[in-house]
Amino acid sequence: MGMRRRSGTFVLQVNPILCDGFGHCAELAPELVKTDEWGYPIIVNEPVPLANVAAYESARYAERGCPRQALHIQRFSEKKPH
Amino acid sequence: MIALTTPYLWYTTRATGMVTLILFTMVVALGTLVANRIGGTIVGRFEVNELHRSLTMVAMTFLAIHILTTVLDSYVPTGFISVLIPMTSQYKRVAVGIGAISFDLILAVWTSSLLKLRIPNTTWRFIHWFSWLGFSAAIVHGFMTGTDSRKGIGLIVVMACASTVLVAALWRFFGRPTRAAGRTALSPLAVTSGPQNTSGSPRPAPPSRPATRSARPLKETRPAPATPPSKSGPQPSSPGQRPFPTSPLPKEKKRRP
Repeated sequence: MGMRRRSGTFVLQVNPILCDGFGHCAELAPELVKTDEWGYPIIVNEPVPLANVAAYESARYAERGCPRQALHIQRFSEKKPH
Repeated sequence: MIALTTPYLWYTTRATGMVTLILFTMVVALGTLVANRIGGTIVGRFEVNELHRSLTMVAMTFLAIHILTTVLDSYVPTGFISVLIPMTSQYKRVAVGIGAISFDLILAVWTSSLLKLRIPNTTWRFIHWFSWLGFSAAIVHGFMTGTDSRKGIGLIVVMACASTVLVAALWRFFGRPTRAAGRTALSPLAVTSGPQNTSGSPRPAPPSRPATRSARPLKETRPAPATPPSKSGPQPSSPGQRPFPTSPLPKEKKRRP
């Protein structure tokens, strides 16, 4: 896979139309996702730096583990203001 | 071709057929557990899902051995074509044909699941419904062709598998959950730990929610600004009153002019 780019940030995004509240993302990425009282995800708003490898791995697990494919990792380069 | 005339291929076919049936019973039952939102207390829901996915790989391996040994074996006349196309086998035409139908359906479900990240989720779901049909065909195939499944322990195993999946199907149909069945106990909010929102997130929590339910900031987040934040992040700056703190997916962005 080579070297992963460590610069920039990412945000885990949920498509609320696809989401059915399975709650897998909250289990797989607990540092990024909370659930509301109906089981739907509340995701950390702020862009997380890609240097936070653990959070990024969690986000990837959550993206892969979502039964409805409702999650998407949006990456941002550092040039954009945030 | 001495090796292909040994009876061990035939024994392997019979044994792996039974094992494959048991494994796919477990796979279907686990899939029902995932769909009915079981787990989250002792075992995580994602763990049930991962077990469902992993066990599918084991079951597909046994199915491949089952089919390969059947075809390679010279004891019963079946051809490579009859693996995929039904009603082409000389040996037990209907029974092996039903097995071919089952294999086709299982192959479709498996392939679509392997491509799950690349195909629309509705497509995957539509194909995934056919796993019930594939399993039913597998049960019929096992009972019709089965050398062992007509009597004794083999019959008991087949009946147990059939009844297990029947119960799973009834449970799936009648006990299907509402759209969201509550949070799982593994999610950190269920623990109701206090130290949240101490350093503050740049975006204030929506006023409809209590402050404890807002996202706990990561270590890397910047400290809270003293003034009300004017955040011009990469996301489209949405007001906090939205029910979901999300920005639209980039696909929708591209489609819109």
